[in-house]
Amino acid sequence: MGLLLRAKNLRKVYQMGEVMVEALKDASFEIYEGEFIVVLGPSGSGKSTMLNLIGGMDTITSGELYYKNQSLHGASEKELTLYRRNVVGFVFQFYNLMPNLTAYENVKLSVEIAQNPLKVEDVLREVGLEERADHFPAQMSGGQQQRVSLARAIAKNPEILLCDEPTGALDITTGLQVLKLLRKFNKEYKKTVIIITHNGEIAKMADRVFYIKDGRLDRIETNEHPLSPEEVAW
Amino acid sequence: MVILWKKLFRDLRENKMAYIACLIVISIGLMSYTAMSIAMDNLNRAKNTFYEENHFAEGFAKVRSMPLSKVQTLSRIEGIKKIEGRLVKDVRVLFPGREEDNVYLRLVTVDPSDPTHLNGVQKIQGRELEVNQANIWIGPKFFEVNGLQMDEEISVIINGRKAELVIAGTAQSPEFVYPMQNPQSMMPSPETFDIAYIPYEVMDSLFGAGGTVNDIIFTLEEGYSFQDVEDELKAKLKKYGLETVFERKDQLSHAMLQQELDGIASMAKSVPFLFIGISAIILYIMLKRLVEQQRGLIGTLKAFGYTQKEVLFHYLSYSWIIGLGGGIIGGLLGTVLSGGMTEVYKEFFQLPDLENQFSWRYFIMGIVLSVLGCLFAGFQGVKGVMKLHPAEGMRPEAPPIGKKILIERVKILWNHLTVQGRMAMRNNFRSKGRSFFTLIGIIFTFAMMATMISFNDMIDIMMFDQFNKVQTYNVKVNFESPLYAKDVLRELQNKKGIIELETLLEVPATFKNMYHEKSLMILGLHEESNLYNILDSNGKKVKVPTEGILLSETIAKDLHVKVGDKVQFESPWAREDTLYVYVAGIIPQYLGSNAYMEEESLGKLLGQGHISTSAILNIYPEDLELLKNDYKASNVIQSIEESSIILNKYKEMLGSYGYMIWVMVLIAVVTGFAIVYNSSIISLAERKRELASLRVLGMTYREVLEIISFEQWMLGIAGMLLSIPMTFLFKQGMAESMSSDIMTMPTYTSPSSFLIALMGTALAIILAQLNIARNIKKLDLVEVLKERE
Repeated sequence: MGLLLRAKNLRKVYQMGEVMVEALKDASFEIYEGEFIVVLGPSGSGKSTMLNLIGGMDTITSGELYYKNQSLHGASEKELTLYRRNVVGFVFQFYNLMPNLTAYENVKLSVEIAQNPLKVEDVLREVGLEERADHFPAQMSGGQQQRVSLARAIAKNPEILLCDEPTGALDITTGLQVLKLLRKFNKEYKKTVIIITHNGEIAKMADRVFYIKDGRLDRIETNEHPLSPEEVAW
Repeated sequence: MVILWKKLFRDLRENKMAYIACLIVISIGLMSYTAMSIAMDNLNRAKNTFYEENHFAEGFAKVRSMPLSKVQTLSRIEGIKKIEGRLVKDVRVLFPGREEDNVYLRLVTVDPSDPTHLNGVQKIQGRELEVNQANIWIGPKFFEVNGLQMDEEISVIINGRKAELVIAGTAQSPEFVYPMQNPQSMMPSPETFDIAYIPYEVMDSLFGAGGTVNDIIFTLEEGYSFQDVEDELKAKLKKYGLETVFERKDQLSHAMLQQELDGIASMAKSVPFLFIGISAIILYIMLKRLVEQQRGLIGTLKAFGYTQKEVLFHYLSYSWIIGLGGGIIGGLLGTVLSGGMTEVYKEFFQLPDLENQFSWRYFIMGIVLSVLGCLFAGFQGVKGVMKLHPAEGMRPEAPPIGKKILIERVKILWNHLTVQGRMAMRNNFRSKGRSFFTLIGIIFTFAMMATMISFNDMIDIMMFDQFNKVQTYNVKVNFESPLYAKDVLRELQNKKGIIELETLLEVPATFKNMYHEKSLMILGLHEESNLYNILDSNGKKVKVPTEGILLSETIAKDLHVKVGDKVQFESPWAREDTLYVYVAGIIPQYLGSNAYMEEESLGKLLGQGHISTSAILNIYPEDLELLKNDYKASNVIQSIEESSIILNKYKEMLGSYGYMIWVMVLIAVVTGFAIVYNSSIISLAERKRELASLRVLGMTYREVLEIISFEQWMLGIAGMLLSIPMTFLFKQGMAESMSSDIMTMPTYTSPSSFLIALMGTALAIILAQLNIARNIKKLDLVEVLKERE
């Protein structure tokens, strides 16, 4: 397994009004190709900040972060944009679908700028939504919307899939569907999946778990026997 | 990026009302731009061709009588290229059955055999003129509206005798593109006045002119100006009874045509910018709101890897599409309208080559202007959010800092406000940018309406005051040449039906103060005149001075003189070359621009005794026919004018402005609606949660609506108050740009104009609120509160 991401003393400070908030302190880690990683921590612990930095969505205050041999610290806006465009796929807790585009069009939107995309129809079939292709977000349930969001991320065929509380807004059954799809993508396409969550059960699926506490990467645990999504009880 | 385009068009469709309002405003602006520019080009092109082909003169002079054989000696004056003499005289026409009508033809001599003559005449139809026959070419409009036939004979009065002239054809000349009898006519009236072209030999013998001319026209050598030849020409013409010398820019027909061209040019330069400006404000508000609403979506797009430029282009596309659409619609409508305008010009200006020509230049320019204006506005609205990092974009905007606003310190006011009132007040002060633009929108709506509606006030003052308060006579009898006042009075005072009678002296003069110079007409009035009243700015009657002179404000301004100053003047009627007179007073004058003095004193000053050029009188209408009949064949009387006919002509001319005014008012209401509606929609979108929470707390939808409507009324009332001084500024500016020697615009605005503007603005706000009310009713409480903060 090749080295994908390498972070050294990664740090992020936000200016919030008049106070400085240190959202991530000195995080150092490595992530490999094809890994299934769960970043676990209570809300406000800094896990979203970590995801944003890994995803090239925010600037790094100090420290180093490399994707393969490309440094992301000190990268220009343009370099970060290309990184997001070609390497990363995002799945958000609240889906962030374009409300006036259909399921198909939402997926197509990300495919249009990707270098090596998958076929929109195939991906929609994969997530079980080929029947709903021409529905608008407002005409779909939360689980369906999250699957569109997932399809949109997968269709780009990214190296890394970043998921921010992907099941946070869903009930058990629909949450399970989403987790199965994430696992499938990880196994079949051999792509790295990083999920951030506060749900400890989901962590049991992971190859490795990053524990975040008060903005610090507290510890990293390796699961010798990751559970399948069906075995996760939540 | 096919999909982003889909998103864009769906976004546009969702807010179609606001974008359509914007599109309409732009289209109107561009329509007026294209239409006016094309019509202006048409007019200019036709004018230039016509002037050039027919050798339109650059200088003009009128004398009492000069031998034709002497005219060529004037070409020795340095700077004069070509000079010619003509006979020009107005004659009365007698149409059978219409004897009581004042119909005149201006006979102008021509040499039909030589096309290189100055002020050449272009034959429209008919045959060539014969030098041994009393035949004429006549203006085509006169020919048409009076139902004349080729070879028909018309009767005219020449030197008191009836003479017959045969119509050989119709013709036009660059000298009479806008054929008005005199500057007071304001517009041509082809039924009662036009030009007739006649061979010199024929006219010479009909009038017994004995080989003389009374009208001189000339062109200038390259590099010489009119001023270079003026003095020498005046000196040489003095002994032939020089009346006036003037250059092309003061020639009546040319001046009217040029005034129209200048007017339309300045309108074409200002009107479209006004409208593009308004739509830019609307677009700015719309797009600012759009990107604020779509913060999360922008973050998502960026997270996928859409570049800054792609996202920016996407949001700017909303504005350039509107700009492009408005530009194309406006350009097409304008092209259609330019055809109509050109047709109207054809009615007014007798230019044979006046044709409508489509112009790619203005069409494209219009689109470019509109797209650039919209892009600029769009960029201003969009740029803020574009700088966001995707992660920031996906976080909701930090709530505005809650601070006390200044007005809260005014405890008496603050304590009286309801909670809704306080929320509204704070909100207006916090979103300063939006409040500011809404305020501008309201000010524009109100000021535009008030200005437009008060045009009626201006017209009332300008036209109707002139005829009801200033010129209170109903008939004016103009003499062929000055007569002694006592003879005039003796002749007229016993005529049947005359109630009041006064004499009037109109003297052409040139006033000078240092290097300022102004040609004008001095009116000599009876000291206690009842028929021609000079009024001060408060409408109080001013006594005509026997010592010194009264000047209109425009003249005083142009000459840079004030009361008590001594000014120099020259008049062809004066025995001495240069005269001096004190400025006794300065008075407002809306129609025309004159100087005034007591008649007898003026005559004495000129060294001519008590002379008059016309009589003004009030006569019982039933006795007017008799008077006209008595003088129908007189060679002493040039014309008999009736005030009511002139007033009706003005009314007719101004009537067409009426509907324009209401169109502009309607545009103002639409614009006001679009701006208020948009800003409240943004306010609503931003505070959906807040308002929904209030509903959950138990407020009725009406109470929630109150918050937003209170905000708007607050801005509305402030805007309307600010609009009042703005209206005065608008009108001041307009009055200054539109005032000329022919008219001065009064700046008075009646309370009723303000009242109508107030109602119009209120209507725009109420319409916007009805829409908001619908939106608040539709607020889905559960959905709104479930959405992520």
